[in-house]
Amino acid sequence: MAAVTRPAAGSGKAAPGGAGGGGPSLLRNTWVQAAAVVAVLVAGYWATRALGGPAWAGPFPTAVGDAFMAWLDGVYGWIVVNRNDSPLFLYFFNYVSVGLGSAVVLIDQFLGFLTWPGVTVLGVLTAWRVAGWRVALLVLAAFGVFALTGLWNESMTTLALIIASVFIALLFGIPLGVLAGRSDRFHRGVRPVLDFMQIMPAFAYLLPFVLLFGIGNPAAAVVTAVYAFPPVVRITALAIREVPGGAVEAATSLGSTPWQVLTKVQLPLARRTILLGVNQTIMLAVSMVVIASVIGAGGLGDAIYQALSKVNVGQAFQAGLAIVMLAIALDRVTGAVGHGARTPDVPERLRLPLLGGGLVLTVAVVAVARLMGVRGWPREVAVDLAAPVNAVYEAVQAAIGPTTAALGAWTLDWVLGPLGSLLTGSPWWLVTLAAAALAWIFSGFGAGAVSGLAFVGAGLLGVWDNAMDTLSQVLVASALTIALGVVIGVLMSRNDVLAAILKPVLDAMQTLPPFVYLIPAVALFSIGRVPALVAAVVFALPPVIRLVDDGIRGVPAPTLEAARSQGSTKWQLLTKVELPMARGSMLLAVNQGIILVLSMVVMGALVGAGSLGFDVVFGLAQNQLGLGLASGLAIVCLGLFLDRLTQGRRAPRA
Amino acid sequence: MSTRAEGEAVPQEGASDTTFSVRHLWKIFGRNADSVIGTDLEHADRDRIKDETGCTVAVRDVSFDVRTGETFVVMGLSGSGKSTLIRCLTRLIEPTSGQVLLDGEDIGEAGPQRLRELRRHRMAMVFQHFGLLPNRRIIDNVAYGLEVRGMPRPDRYARAREMIDMVGLGGYENSRPGELSGGMQQRVGLARALAVDPQVLLFDEPFSALDPLIRRDMQNEVVRLQRELHKTSVFITHDLQEALKLGDRIAIMRDGELVQVGTPEEVVGRPADAYVADFTSDVARTTVLTARWLVREPFPGERTDGPTTEPGTVLAEVLPMLAASTAPVRVVEGGTLLGYVGRDDVLRAIAEDQLENAAAAAAIEGETSEELSDGATDPASASHVADLGDDGGPGGSATAGSGG
Repeated sequence: MAAVTRPAAGSGKAAPGGAGGGGPSLLRNTWVQAAAVVAVLVAGYWATRALGGPAWAGPFPTAVGDAFMAWLDGVYGWIVVNRNDSPLFLYFFNYVSVGLGSAVVLIDQFLGFLTWPGVTVLGVLTAWRVAGWRVALLVLAAFGVFALTGLWNESMTTLALIIASVFIALLFGIPLGVLAGRSDRFHRGVRPVLDFMQIMPAFAYLLPFVLLFGIGNPAAAVVTAVYAFPPVVRITALAIREVPGGAVEAATSLGSTPWQVLTKVQLPLARRTILLGVNQTIMLAVSMVVIASVIGAGGLGDAIYQALSKVNVGQAFQAGLAIVMLAIALDRVTGAVGHGARTPDVPERLRLPLLGGGLVLTVAVVAVARLMGVRGWPREVAVDLAAPVNAVYEAVQAAIGPTTAALGAWTLDWVLGPLGSLLTGSPWWLVTLAAAALAWIFSGFGAGAVSGLAFVGAGLLGVWDNAMDTLSQVLVASALTIALGVVIGVLMSRNDVLAAILKPVLDAMQTLPPFVYLIPAVALFSIGRVPALVAAVVFALPPVIRLVDDGIRGVPAPTLEAARSQGSTKWQLLTKVELPMARGSMLLAVNQGIILVLSMVVMGALVGAGSLGFDVVFGLAQNQLGLGLASGLAIVCLGLFLDRLTQGRRAPRA
Repeated sequence: MSTRAEGEAVPQEGASDTTFSVRHLWKIFGRNADSVIGTDLEHADRDRIKDETGCTVAVRDVSFDVRTGETFVVMGLSGSGKSTLIRCLTRLIEPTSGQVLLDGEDIGEAGPQRLRELRRHRMAMVFQHFGLLPNRRIIDNVAYGLEVRGMPRPDRYARAREMIDMVGLGGYENSRPGELSGGMQQRVGLARALAVDPQVLLFDEPFSALDPLIRRDMQNEVVRLQRELHKTSVFITHDLQEALKLGDRIAIMRDGELVQVGTPEEVVGRPADAYVADFTSDVARTTVLTARWLVREPFPGERTDGPTTEPGTVLAEVLPMLAASTAPVRVVEGGTLLGYVGRDDVLRAIAEDQLENAAAAAAIEGETSEELSDGATDPASASHVADLGDDGGPGGSATAGSGG
């Protein structure tokens, strides 16, 4: 066996430095090397099968992992017992927990106090003031959906959670971003942490916070805040850095203190960009607040979660519609604040009276509504979409159910199954070496080392089999995503009409929380691995398409002209000029696509995709925190590997 | 007295009419900047230092004095270190070593608080790319320096309005910088600097980003303000015409070193080396050199009844007088006769301009010396005469240069 592995590692070693010297040039081609590594892996798999699967050539031994999980369970048990005694909890986590819980409840109660007409008037007026009447109409429509789906109260709870967690994220994120913007050293220190946080799939965030805050809204608020805070730090730092050096220098030369430079020059000039960061943070919070329903967050996410676990597509659709409207409305309103576009041009002298008038109107509406005994939107006055949607679902299932089922079965038998057994059936050390070699070939020595360690880590956590299962799903979904994304992206870059049609669709898709992608996937493919895979592909596709399109459109016109003047065909133009020159974008597209696929595949556990994601949910449900945490960490390991593998030799992140 | 500093010929410190004294100023960018100064690398080529230490020498052992009330122009091509130099004066860039004295106070010793005080009250800078705050109205931009000082709003607005009127932007108080043209934006930058009533104005290539016509307007504006306000100024430019027009004295910088410091006449009339000569070769000398530059003792038996003129008259205006009279022009300052300028002197001054190399110039000099008596036309002694006749006016000869 060892003899089989060595060439793999050897070819990997020789390649990057070109140290092979006299070797044929074919061996220097990365793709040839990668194919060789895969061939060795397959050979190893068959050899293991032939040998009857001896213990030394099997999956990762689980002894260490079991011990680790038992220890984590012990920690959890200790926490449960001591939650009300240990000073750490008594004086810190419990305070935070209670405080946050009450904050969410307070905001929720305040929204309830405003009554539905009050909230609607306030929301629509605010939207009009900052983003113009179109967005105001959109906001009105969103409130309409909340009301008519009978999910008004759930929507308000979700809104309260979002407000609380975004507030926390900004409270910490903006000062950190300012620091990172002003200090190079702090920026260097904080950047890898943010990078890491952004490749971590949402699901992996959940359990540690349960450990500290228990299950419920406080943990949900914290996890949402933590998940949502990298963009605001990053973008605030960027915004501060982008402030023209001349302005800062001029202010300094006039004797401004550092604080004056910050408040009078940097923050005012960075304001718009920072607001874009706030927008991104809000959008991440929306997606996380739905996922956090798994750890007991109430609201719309919970409604989807409940409906999905009962495979009630109709109910899931209703709640999904509400969350989609919430996401789009929040995006448009906060985006408009950042862009400053479409804001009604109110003369300065009218601004205060207008604000006062709006407040008076809101107060009046609230007062009248409360006098009339109106509270949240009455559940009885709702249009039940669930029944007709379910009917459509039945019809769709009857019509194409067999086809999708057959397609699903084929995918399972011929693609997912074999790949899964290749990864789980080969000796763990061979898989690890192959992964390290591939990362080395594509992204350099450091990436290879990290990848190898990530695999060993996943093994040590005791969830090797599930990790390999998840990996196989990710690989299949990623291959599909990248193939589709490149084709559609290229088409889009060729055809302006197609681009004009696709752009708003992609925009909308990118604002949706990942959770809702599961709903149509379940509608078409029922439950299992295949719908999770489909949801992952659809979810990861928009950014891939967009990056490919951007990359190709970014090729300078003079270069194209020169290539055309030398008689290139369109195909030659694409393959010899455009795609190579768009390499940076393509690499980034692959990287982002794969990271997004991973986060979605894990979430697919909710619709029966099994493996790591299932362990997270199962660990939560069965109070086996050890298993859940270990699986969460294994997801992080996989994320690390996939990110390093696709990072490329040039750092793709700007 | 040579215009070229001989290393040790550093001017005396703390002279009462000196505003800025810069002593052995170095600025080296890079990690171990200190490893250059004081070693034999100190005098090495910039490229060699870059190769060996990775450091970039921007300013190299520069010393000069700026006198109270004068406009001191630092001229050099891009990359010569002039912008770094002016930033070292107000510590927007920290010098690597050396001293900057403002009225005898070492700016390098100032703590953050004191440095802010100096920046708020004593010096103000005008920047090449204006450095205006786009989110503020013009009046708030102009009042910025007063605002950070803590001046109450009505007072600072009153002062800002005054400054805006002074630079001719009355009526634009409530516009935003983005709505103004480049020239107008730089007027705002000028007003902002003047608003704090600084002792010293620092100009960092303020007009380089402007169109030629606008640039000329702005130069005239500076000349006008200078005449009214008599501010001590340090002016950075890469444009020789601008330097000659605005400068009482000009320092020419190359590769981080001062090559020559002198009046416009000295720089044009007696370039320190081939580099400066090349630089000034396009200048029409008759518009820069003045009668004072050429004045000499009368030759024996020469007519002394020629027309009279001020020492500050440029040659272009002396020429017609000489054409009208065969006698040399008498140069008179306030009733005192400084000396004479004859046709030959002017011709030679113009001709030197046409000659590429010093040898040819020397040949001509030799010939004229032979024709005329005892070497009175030697340029060195001509300047000696000028020195004698100099009573502290702008025609003074150089003070310093760098050790080269």
